[in-house]
Amino acid sequence: MLIFHLGPLASSLFSLLAILALVLSFVMLGSHWLKNHVYAFSAESWVIAAISASIGYYGHYPELYLIAALSALFRGTLLPYLVLRLVKRLNINREFTPLLKPSSSMLLGAALVIFSYEVARRLGIALNLADNIAVLALTCMFSLKLIGFLMMILRSEAISHILGLLVIENGIFLGSQIIVPGMPALLELVIIFDLVTIVMAFGMLVRYLQSHAGTTSSRGLQKLVG
Amino acid sequence: MKDILLQVAQVLTVLLLSPLLHGFIVKMEEKVQRGQGPSILQPYRDLWKLFHKTQLVPETATWVFFAAPVVAFVAMMIVPMLIPVLTNFPLPLSDMGDILGGGLILTLGSFFILLAGLDTGQPFGGLGSSRAVMLGILAEPTLILVFVGITFLDHSMLPFVANHLLAQNPVAYWSPAHIFLIFAFLILLTVETDRLPIHSTIPYEIYMIDEARILEYSGPLLALLKWASWMKQFILYTIFLNVFLFPWGLSMSGDLGSVLLALLIILAKYGAVGLFMVMVDTVQSRLRFYRYQEPLALSFLFAVLAIVADQL
Repeated sequence: MLIFHLGPLASSLFSLLAILALVLSFVMLGSHWLKNHVYAFSAESWVIAAISASIGYYGHYPELYLIAALSALFRGTLLPYLVLRLVKRLNINREFTPLLKPSSSMLLGAALVIFSYEVARRLGIALNLADNIAVLALTCMFSLKLIGFLMMILRSEAISHILGLLVIENGIFLGSQIIVPGMPALLELVIIFDLVTIVMAFGMLVRYLQSHAGTTSSRGLQKLVG
Repeated sequence: MKDILLQVAQVLTVLLLSPLLHGFIVKMEEKVQRGQGPSILQPYRDLWKLFHKTQLVPETATWVFFAAPVVAFVAMMIVPMLIPVLTNFPLPLSDMGDILGGGLILTLGSFFILLAGLDTGQPFGGLGSSRAVMLGILAEPTLILVFVGITFLDHSMLPFVANHLLAQNPVAYWSPAHIFLIFAFLILLTVETDRLPIHSTIPYEIYMIDEARILEYSGPLLALLKWASWMKQFILYTIFLNVFLFPWGLSMSGDLGSVLLALLIILAKYGAVGLFMVMVDTVQSRLRFYRYQEPLALSFLFAVLAIVADQL
């Protein structure tokens, strides 16, 4: 658990970056345009890369610089590029069948943030986390995961499901960066390459769906197609 | 003695400069749209003209019709005593209400104008009042949450303490809690001062929200109402700038020179925020009425995030 001690300005910076990642996930929750989702995801990944780099700087973990560069490259650039290509290829611009309106889903997201804050606070008391940054990181991690789940539940397009999955993954990455900064670099690399594989596989699946079933919406798939 | 004079000066500043701010915003809006625009001093001339007109009263009007403008005007004159307008230290009557009390007095003014809109029984007044109430229902929780958030930040309900804390402590100023409070308050500011995307520039009753409530008024009472709404705008700018966004540049000693300097800085920074509002007005397109909950949900979200971030 967060071994090094942080100065007040550094902890302010960390909390700002972590909460910025949280806000960007709310952009994804609040907008119905798929392109906005992808851009917000890309920005969130860059923010997380900035968190990795600054933890590497303040905590003297040089291998984190590599992780930061890789996550900016893969999560921030390559994955959004692949998903954007998918969006363009499928000719889907926006999510047409949301269960809830954007404002209601944002309010639901706010409730989830409060819930995850409560969970993180209890965990912080139970584990004797002295530094508030650790509790903040736990809060952001849990809320990003819950918001990712929310996106997967509320949206029916396959691309939104990919993005929900990626948001969940980003949340885990953010939490692990702050709470266990010395996590073996190899593990992180494996996760990053895993993600590329996931997006590739998803892309193939989506195209298959499009050509055989004529739709990529899970709600459309509930009907029988002969 | 000096403190009492300063307190009077705070109220006078709000009273006398609020038409200027409104005139500046209107002029700049026209300039951006490549028009000439009325003079910056036009609101003063409007007030002068309205105060010299005959007072016409609808037959259906009751005492509420006469009371509302006076209550709104007086409420807007009470609030500047409670907030830092010119000085960053509390003045004799500043502790008679805290930041929440100021918010409640502002709401009292709006409440009476609402009643006045309903009072005469005319359809447009009722329409405007019901719309304004709907916006109020959506905006009020956020307003309270923003005030609660700033209270958590500085552990005090007095706006002067928040001003001191933010001016002197960069860690508090740049903390996510404070930055999100700024965003939440900025959205509230557009709602409460009747700007786009909330309000329409088309002077047509169907699209009006706040203006539709006062269509029945004429003469001196209309002048009071207009002046009160400009003062409300000025007061909200004051809270936004002097408490949240730019807590520097106020008079510390209360000397004549420093007060005049603070006045100049006020002109500059209110002008800057006015220009920002003009930009919002010009760039944003008007939303459908039932989509107003989206910016307000965003503002609520920012306030919640600010409070969560502040607990850590």
